[in-house]
Amino acid sequence: MVENVIEVHNLVKRYGDFTAVDGIDFHIARGEVFSLLGPNGAGKTTTVEILEGVRKRTSGDVEVMGEDPGKSSDLVFRIGILPQDFSFVYNSTPREALEFYRKTLNPSADIKSIIELVGIGDFLDTPYQKISGGQKQRLGLSLSMVNNPDILFLDEPTSGLDPQARRNIWKVIESLKENGKSILLTTHYLEEAELLADRVAIMDKGKIIDSGTPMEIVERHHEKDRLIIRGDEDIEHIIKNEGFAAKRNGPYIEVSLENIKDATDIINILYERKAKFEDFTLKRESLEDVFVRMVGEIEEQ
Amino acid sequence: MKFKNISAYLVLHTRAYMRSRSAIFFQIAFPIILILLFGAIFAPTTYSPSNLVIQNDSPSAITWEIVDAINASGLFKVHVISQSVNLSHYISSNTVATALEIPGNFSSNLYSGHQGVLILKGEASPQVADSEYQLINGIITQINYRIGNTSQKLVLSSQIAIGSSDKTINYYVPGLIGFTVLTTMFNMVYTVPNFRKEKIFRQLSFTGISKSEWILSNVIHSFVMLIISDIILVAIGIYVFGASLALSPINILVTGVVLLTGLIFFTGIGILAGLISDNEETVAVIGNLILFPMMFLSGVFFPLEFAPAYLVEISKFLPLTYFINSLISVMVYNNIPSVALQIVFLVISSIIVFVVAARLFSWKQR
Repeated sequence: MVENVIEVHNLVKRYGDFTAVDGIDFHIARGEVFSLLGPNGAGKTTTVEILEGVRKRTSGDVEVMGEDPGKSSDLVFRIGILPQDFSFVYNSTPREALEFYRKTLNPSADIKSIIELVGIGDFLDTPYQKISGGQKQRLGLSLSMVNNPDILFLDEPTSGLDPQARRNIWKVIESLKENGKSILLTTHYLEEAELLADRVAIMDKGKIIDSGTPMEIVERHHEKDRLIIRGDEDIEHIIKNEGFAAKRNGPYIEVSLENIKDATDIINILYERKAKFEDFTLKRESLEDVFVRMVGEIEEQ
Repeated sequence: MKFKNISAYLVLHTRAYMRSRSAIFFQIAFPIILILLFGAIFAPTTYSPSNLVIQNDSPSAITWEIVDAINASGLFKVHVISQSVNLSHYISSNTVATALEIPGNFSSNLYSGHQGVLILKGEASPQVADSEYQLINGIITQINYRIGNTSQKLVLSSQIAIGSSDKTINYYVPGLIGFTVLTTMFNMVYTVPNFRKEKIFRQLSFTGISKSEWILSNVIHSFVMLIISDIILVAIGIYVFGASLALSPINILVTGVVLLTGLIFFTGIGILAGLISDNEETVAVIGNLILFPMMFLSGVFFPLEFAPAYLVEISKFLPLTYFINSLISVMVYNNIPSVALQIVFLVISSIIVFVVAARLFSWKQR
C-alpha cells in the first residue's frame, strides 16, 4: 500500500464572509509530484500555506507526514518550502543564506551538492538584491533543499521567469522527483504541470473542480480533435460534401473530427481530387485548453 | 531558545549590515559627524564671559563695591541671588559651575580689622575652577591695593567641587550616546514592516528560528554596534574636544547597563511602532513622530538645564530624557546614587515594554 505524505479532508479557510478554501479533499503519495492548478485567487497558495503551517485553517483535517502542521513546530525540519514571491534578507549573499539554513536546519547538509544541482555557483557571493529573478528562485529552491526534506512545497517556482530560467528549474524538479521526493507544486503554467506532475487538481473559487493525471483530465474534458487546413472555398465544399463538419475561420477551414483517422481520410481525399491547399495541422486539446474552458465555464455560471 | 539559531542569525545579519552603507552611516558615522559639528561649534575658541552667581549675605558699601568691580571687569556675567536662597541647593539644582558667596560676617570682620573671606563655590573641572579663581582673585587683589595698600584684607577661598565640568561638550557626549540608542529603535520601525511586506519573516519562519531568537539576535547586534559607536563618541569627546567624563570601571558598567536598558526599551518601542506601520508612508510618519520630539526635547543636542521651563516639562514625558539624564548623572556628575532608583525604574519599564512588544509581534499569518 502506498503511503500518503499529505492528507487533506474537507479543508476550509474563511476570512470573514469570504471563503478562500471551500471544503477540499486530496492526498499526495510518497514520491509523487502533485500539482495544484488554478487561476489567481483560486485558493492554491492559501491551501499550501496551511499545509506548511504558516497559516491557520478554519476547519477540516490536514496531515503532513502524519502531523498536524498547525500544531507541529518540528515539521519545518522535515519539509522544504519555496514560497510564492521568495525573498530573503537584503545585503546577504546566497552563500551566507545557505550557511544560515545549514546552521539552523541541518548542520550536516551537503551544501556543495545542492549548489551544483541547482547551479547557483556563479552568484554565490552576490548580494541578494543584485541577483536576477531566476537566480532568486534558484536560491529559494536551494534553501528548500538544505534539510534534505521528504516533501517539498514549491509555490509557483517559475512564475515570471524567462523560458530558459523556467527550464532550468524544471530540470531541478525532475531530478528531485528521480530522487524520490514528494512535491506539491502550484503553478500557472499548465505546460509545467503536464510535464512534471503525476497528478493534478484544478482549483477554482476555493473548490477542486477536477483531479487526476493530466491525461485523465484531458480525456474527461477535451472537445473533438480538429483538422485545420489553410485553403479556399473549393476545399471547404469538398470536405463538406464528404460529410464532415467544417467551418471557415478566416483563411482557415476547421474540421471537427469524430475520429483521429478522419484526418488522414480528409487529406487523402484532397490529394485524390488534386485540390490545392497551402498547409494543414492537427489540433488536439492540451491540459491548458481543457483548463481554460473548465474555469471559463465556472466563471460563466 | 537555541543559541545556535541566535548566533546563526547574528552572523547573517552582521554580514548583511556591514554591506549596508546607510545603516553604517546612521549607526556610526552620523553620531560622529554630529559630535564633530557640535563640538566645533561650541568649542571655546574665543573668550566669552562665563556665568558667575553671587550671593551677598553681608550687604555693605565694600561688598557692593566688590560685586560692581567683578561686574565691571567684563569677565563674568553676574547673577546676584537673594540672601534667602540656599546657595548649595541652588548650585546643585541649577548645575552652577562657579558661585561667589560673601558670608554674613564678611563686612563686620573687615570693619573690625580682620580679614574678609570670600568663598568661591560650585561644581567645575580643575581647569575651570583654577581659571575662575585666578580671575576673581585678580579683581580682589586690585581692591585690596586700593583699600589697604599691600595688606591682604580681602581673601578669596575656593571650595569648588572638582570633578564635574561645565563644558558644553560634556553634555553632548551622553546626549549623542542617547541618540545612538534612539536610532536602534528607528531600525526596528523600518525593519519590522519591511520584513513583513517583503515576506522575509515568513522565510525566516521556515528556518526553525523563533521570533524571540530573532529579536535577541537583533538586540545583541545592536548592542555591539552601539558599544563601538559610543566608544568612538567618547574618544572624540575626550581627545578632540577635551570633555571631562567620569569613566571609572563602575561608571562604565552602569553606563553599559543604561545603554542596554535603553536599547531593550527602544527596540520594544520600535517593534510596537513597526507593528502598526502597514505601509512605507506610515512607517515614515510614525518613525519621525517618535524620533524628532525625543531628538530635540530630551537633551540630545542641548542640556535641558538651559531650556525654557515649558520645554523641561514636555521633556518629562519623553522616555529618552530619563536615559540621557541617567547618562549625564553617571558620566558627567559621577553621581550614580542620585539616579540609581531611576535606572531601576528604567530597567523594569524596559522589560515590560520589551515583553509586550515580543508577545504582540508575530511573523505567522492569520
